[in-house]
Amino acid sequence: MFDVDWLSLAVPVAYLGILLGSLATFSSLYRKRKAHKAASLEPWFPAHLQRDIYFSLLHLEPSTTSTKEKKAPAVPDSIFKASLLRRAAEDIRRIMALRSQKQALTTLVQRGSVGDDLWQRFQRAEKEMEDEVKDVVTEANAYVPGWGQTIFQSANEMMNNDIYRKRMVDQQKKLEEERQWWSKKKTSIQEGFMKELNEGSTASTDEAKTTTTTKSFEASTTPAAGTSVQGSDDDAVLVEAETSNTPASSPNAKKKKGKGKK
Amino acid sequence: MASEIDIYNQYPLYMDPSTKALSLPPSSAQTPSQAAAINTELEELNQLHRALISLDPPNIPPAPLPLNPKRSAQISKLRDSANAAHRKSNYEEAIKLYSYAIDMALSRPGWEPVGVAREELAGLYANRAQAHMALQAWPEALVDAKSSVDSKPIGNVKAWWRIAKCLAEMSRYEEARKFLHKALDIEGKESEGGKELFALLGEVDRALLRGLSA
Repeated sequence: MFDVDWLSLAVPVAYLGILLGSLATFSSLYRKRKAHKAASLEPWFPAHLQRDIYFSLLHLEPSTTSTKEKKAPAVPDSIFKASLLRRAAEDIRRIMALRSQKQALTTLVQRGSVGDDLWQRFQRAEKEMEDEVKDVVTEANAYVPGWGQTIFQSANEMMNNDIYRKRMVDQQKKLEEERQWWSKKKTSIQEGFMKELNEGSTASTDEAKTTTTTKSFEASTTPAAGTSVQGSDDDAVLVEAETSNTPASSPNAKKKKGKGKK
Repeated sequence: MASEIDIYNQYPLYMDPSTKALSLPPSSAQTPSQAAAINTELEELNQLHRALISLDPPNIPPAPLPLNPKRSAQISKLRDSANAAHRKSNYEEAIKLYSYAIDMALSRPGWEPVGVAREELAGLYANRAQAHMALQAWPEALVDAKSSVDSKPIGNVKAWWRIAKCLAEMSRYEEARKFLHKALDIEGKESEGGKELFALLGEVDRALLRGLSA
């Protein structure tokens, strides 16, 4: 018969109990806090405006008929379709953004350069976008069977076209600036010629003074064109073209055209 | 998570019953910047809606690839007549026609492949640049040539050459040289127009040297 020493047995049991209890409380607290944190994290993207508008439109009909007693016009299907397309385009933009950010973010997280919550926010955004895409596809299929397969293709092209058009507009906007710069430059070139001319005339003889300015101007440009190969030659032609107003008549232009056309 | 997909911000939108145009009533409770964002978005939406209405039923954008040939045909017709005008040295007319063609190409519906628009516009801008150059309108030609290169950087030797030529004509040799080097990097010296690029580079370098020595 052995006698159980309850007292000495109580010590390890209590130890185990306290250990497990504290571990359990810690884990539950930790998880709760993590979940809370994840829920309170800032979303990755700002509000999805196109999506908001789409849903607002969907909810427009019943609310207008019930509150205002006006005969609310039914929103035509085509508006929903357009709105859905806009939504798909914005989705694509977001997916592209996520994709390009993902690689950089993973390396940063692996190195420990950025906090864990950033990674959580990112993963949540990814998950949301997945759901969003699925939702758009089902909606599209509801309007026209089979549209779900092409809506994102169309949206992608729309987005790319948008970017491209914007770039072209930006390019063409520079025209005014260039024009102003060139007109300024042209006048300065002209002034430079005039100055050179005056200096030359005062230094050499009085004969130059007697001739009209335009005549001596043309006379002074021809030797310059002869000596230099390209730069002042073109300048001279330009100034000439501007003063005499005969565009495209110079042989220079003809030559260029031939070169350009090949 | 499942509930989050259903959350959205409700906007009190208003649809004009006759024109079906959407708008945001000004009395609503958005901040000015928000309202502005919504209004620009609605503007785009209305535009897209008009584009969709003009389509055949079921009023959805067709898949990008079999392309609607009508617009392409119109554009190439305009381009051909512009080319003819250019050949007859009627440069003002050519520029006008090229501009029409460019406008038409720019107004291609957005769901058509961007590659097609780029290809078309690259050619049109390059041609308009040439017409401008014939009139010695260097700034206009420069901007058009730059647009062309921006649309299609590879296989566009002529447009590269025109950029550099315009810059050289405006005695901006440094810039011209930069562009020529870039063009030679992209196109290679062995390419079709590589010789011309190289020749122009030589001219520009000589002009630069002359500027230094003077």
